[in-house]
Amino acid sequence: MIHCFTLGGVKLVYDVHSHSLHEVDDLAWALLYWELYQEPERAMSVLLTEGYTGEEIGEALEEIARLRADRLLCTADPFSGYEPPAFVVKALCLNVAHNCNLSCRYCFAGAGSLGQTAVLMPSSTARQAVDFLLSHSGTRQNVEIDFFGGEPLLNMPVVEATVAYARERGRAEGKEIGFTITTNAVLLDEHISRFLLENGINVVLSIDGRPEVHDRLRQTHGGKGSHAQVLSHIMQYLQRHREWSGPKGYCYVRGTFTRYNLDFAQDFRYLAGLGIDEISLEPVVARPTDDYSLRGEDLSAVAAEYERLAEAYLEMNAGGRDIRFFHFEIDLDGGPCLPKLLSGCGAGHSYLAVTAQGDLYPCHQFIGREAYRLGNVSGGSLPTELIEQFRTAHIYAKPKCRQCWAKFLCSGGCQAHCHLENNNILEPPELACQMMRQRLECALYVRSRKEQLL
Amino acid sequence: MAKHIKTITRSRLLKREHTGCGECQTSCQSACKTSCTVGNQTCLNTKTK
Repeated sequence: MIHCFTLGGVKLVYDVHSHSLHEVDDLAWALLYWELYQEPERAMSVLLTEGYTGEEIGEALEEIARLRADRLLCTADPFSGYEPPAFVVKALCLNVAHNCNLSCRYCFAGAGSLGQTAVLMPSSTARQAVDFLLSHSGTRQNVEIDFFGGEPLLNMPVVEATVAYARERGRAEGKEIGFTITTNAVLLDEHISRFLLENGINVVLSIDGRPEVHDRLRQTHGGKGSHAQVLSHIMQYLQRHREWSGPKGYCYVRGTFTRYNLDFAQDFRYLAGLGIDEISLEPVVARPTDDYSLRGEDLSAVAAEYERLAEAYLEMNAGGRDIRFFHFEIDLDGGPCLPKLLSGCGAGHSYLAVTAQGDLYPCHQFIGREAYRLGNVSGGSLPTELIEQFRTAHIYAKPKCRQCWAKFLCSGGCQAHCHLENNNILEPPELACQMMRQRLECALYVRSRKEQLL
Repeated sequence: MAKHIKTITRSRLLKREHTGCGECQTSCQSACKTSCTVGNQTCLNTKTK
């Protein structure tokens, strides 16, 4: 299976099953295009009338044949009889605070409370979660804990105690535990920054970009914008992060875009202009009835904006900046292996979320969807049938994904999003799929242009 | 030297050098939290070799 597309005047061919990327000239493009539509004999007559010589066409056909023989073009599906790995918990998302000091309108956690009474996770529950992770992680040597919410910094004493406890338990079990924290940065002061740096914790900082974009949806409970305060804290943290000489985790600045900022490449430029080098901007997850939700009619604007973002990204990198946009950092050469690409995010079978009360869900976005409660970290059995549904919800089980050129890059999309829109974890939402494909074309284009920069 | 097709990446995907050890970072633990992209994750084996 191949995907042929043009971007920025460049003709690219992505070979889906081998993960190889080729830049082709007009002649090879025409031959592959005709072949795609199974009319190779027509290609020859059309190309001869367009002025190509028989010799040139023969050369191009030979190159195509060579790449096919090397399994770099039109490669057959290597894994049609895929059997996903057994249930082993590799990562837990701890919602240490079902409470938030901001009231962002688009928050899937419902302003931090996740549809539940505002509550902080007790230390005892966090310890049980660590024990649960270690006892369900099988032979995995590297396991992960993510502090999330709500706003996790509202429960910093428990975060600190949990890191210490997990480290001690990890050592005893011979396992490495990696930590990530996702925060709105409102409470990110010097003390907390030092703790995060000293403990090598990966940090994801939320800011949407330009002040007017951020303040429209990321407001305090009193309805005031949070941009000025958040930006100041983020910049201070980034400075400390840069100056930190010891081992340290990564730090990504992450924003959400909605239909109110379809010009989100400007937000990328704004954040980059502040000296931020690692940026992620995510399409909002919303119901179609939400005023800020992205809709079918926005798709062409989103596609054009991803292209502008790609050009801005390339321009900055060409100018000597080592800037990263999370979704463009596709590593076709040394990235994830095929089994990883097939198993996706692992929600519900290798990645679980834990509420402040210790309840387990397939992931942080499923929290509050009662039919998907998997149990509690305090003990008891887990619903094998439900876990099996998630374990087997890979791309080969999703009819739409099987035939999609992007399947090995997106891995079937977000299960929670499938459920939110289609009430079926096997049916990805069309709008999200289209945006994913637009973004991935840009990522492949960026990869091809970076080749020129190297 | 190919004249019409420039191969940008020759993926090792089919060579099965890494066979799903399951040690790499979970994608939703990285930077997105909402839109699953697995293709940009790093192979821990490649990184440590």
